[in-house]
Amino acid sequence: MTKEMQFKTIVAQYCKVKPEDMANDMRFREDLGFSSLDFMSFLGELEDTFDIELEEEDALKVLTVGQALELLERL
Amino acid sequence: MGILIRDILEESAKKFADIKAVKWLEKKEIHERSYSELMENVIAVRKGLQAEGFNGKHISLIGTSSVEWIESYLGIITGNTVAVPLDAGLPEEDLVDLVNRSDSEALFLSPKNQALLDGILANCPKIRKVWMLQEESTGVSSEKTASLAALKAAAGKCDSDTSIPSPDGVATIIFTSGTTGKSKGVMLTQNNLATNVVSVDYTTDPGSILLSVLPIHHAFCLVMDWLKGFSLGTTICINDSLLHMVKNMGIFKPEVMLMVPMMIETIYKRLASADAAIPKKVLADNVFGGNLKIIFTGGAHLDPFYIGEFAEYGVEVLEGYGMSECSPVISSNTPETHKAGSIGKPLPNAEIKFENGEILVKGSSVMKGYYQMPEETAETLKDGWLHTGDKGYMDEDGFMFINGRVKNLIILSNGENISPEEIENKLALDALVGEVIVTGEDNGLTARIYPDQDVVAAKELGEDAIKTALQAFLDNYNKNQPTYRQITGLVVRKNPFIRSSTKKIKRQEALIDEPLPMA
Repeated sequence: MTKEMQFKTIVAQYCKVKPEDMANDMRFREDLGFSSLDFMSFLGELEDTFDIELEEEDALKVLTVGQALELLERL
Repeated sequence: MGILIRDILEESAKKFADIKAVKWLEKKEIHERSYSELMENVIAVRKGLQAEGFNGKHISLIGTSSVEWIESYLGIITGNTVAVPLDAGLPEEDLVDLVNRSDSEALFLSPKNQALLDGILANCPKIRKVWMLQEESTGVSSEKTASLAALKAAAGKCDSDTSIPSPDGVATIIFTSGTTGKSKGVMLTQNNLATNVVSVDYTTDPGSILLSVLPIHHAFCLVMDWLKGFSLGTTICINDSLLHMVKNMGIFKPEVMLMVPMMIETIYKRLASADAAIPKKVLADNVFGGNLKIIFTGGAHLDPFYIGEFAEYGVEVLEGYGMSECSPVISSNTPETHKAGSIGKPLPNAEIKFENGEILVKGSSVMKGYYQMPEETAETLKDGWLHTGDKGYMDEDGFMFINGRVKNLIILSNGENISPEEIENKLALDALVGEVIVTGEDNGLTARIYPDQDVVAAKELGEDAIKTALQAFLDNYNKNQPTYRQITGLVVRKNPFIRSSTKKIKRQEALIDEPLPMA
């Protein structure tokens, strides 16, 4: 599984959109229906899955799937 | 007559002296404080406050959960000072307003929030001292600023401990959303807090592990995680971030937790999305840490669906009901007495009656009033009966149920009470916003905006341009707000809102977007 698909599979746990239907401009809260806590929990899962440490302040600025993928690529 | 948090704490310090009171993570290592060590620090803080001349004064705290925060809070309320815990996530202007409106003369500030220091010192003229919530030197050069260690050192100048506070004296002021858009400071006495702690029917073995995941400035967390937990000799573990809640359950292996419904909903998504082939016991151990037996939930109503689902993973979910004005618990399900969908039976110190369907409460945990707000106090407290603003009923077995609201507050499933007017007033400042109503849907806030038609015409804006401009404005607004006050939905209306004969927008019809009838 590619890193992007692995990432989208985690996103899909919190919403009803399938990984293959997920567009990069989709917004977590407005388009995917994430609650504020879903988003925090999702970030925690990213840390565990990809063995990274996120700066909470930066991570919370992320609004879209594409922005989160970019953040992941930078780390 | 009455009881004091100081009495409860001193008894715990004696009975559970060597048991760990608090555990927390620092750079991935677990640190801990025993009950006797905790008590030593609490006494040092209260003696320090006395030595520095703060007897009888109000003292704010800004920061997230930490051992230094809770020791300082307990130092304040077990002495002769009043604690004002504030939400560290609020914008600076709101915090400055609350520090000023609470007449605070000193502040405990978390190092993470050090950026607030200059603004507070410049705009809060009554503040005489700020102690950073850290032991070592602060690195801040200001004669008004010192470390917690310096405050404790000042305690050495005091031979005697502070005098015993009066049970009827105000111990704490907790700010809560007001329906008029201005938050109100709920004054809770020593006796209010202490009787709530002893009236909640729950007990556990000393040294049992509790993981605290809620914001510490909230009455539910402060009183039920911390004060109740300390009264039982519980070891309270601090969740360092909501990002790591599940990971920290694995590290600390709690037996009991307090959560708001949103947390239960989020955890359920993880459980439900797991591979169906994984046995539930294995999944529960992975997600809950292996020892979790009970989740107490409150702050908002939980869909009873989750109670049944969590039971399959061996976790009992018990719902309760309360509000800051009642210190906070009014009723709760317990391991022995519970009914799914209900908010449990009233605490023994709470008398309940119903007036036009509204729940009214009287008893020893009902607040003294709202600080410096006599009109709001008189509206809420009538003949000793607190008008909760919630509608409900009691069934034939004595279990209470909620079925509506009287007041105009949005209750999100994270337990936050949102005053829509407070946010609408801020959104209305944008020139393109003609009329705005904020509603609560799907665990978030939606702004329903009717654009200002003069601005639309002057700038020749089309539908897409209006939406883009309003979304950009909301994104910018959201940047400075705590997550629970962020706007996550935008509806651009084609028509103005329907208004009453007194020209007020009819909130209950805010979802209807139809042309107004011809006058």
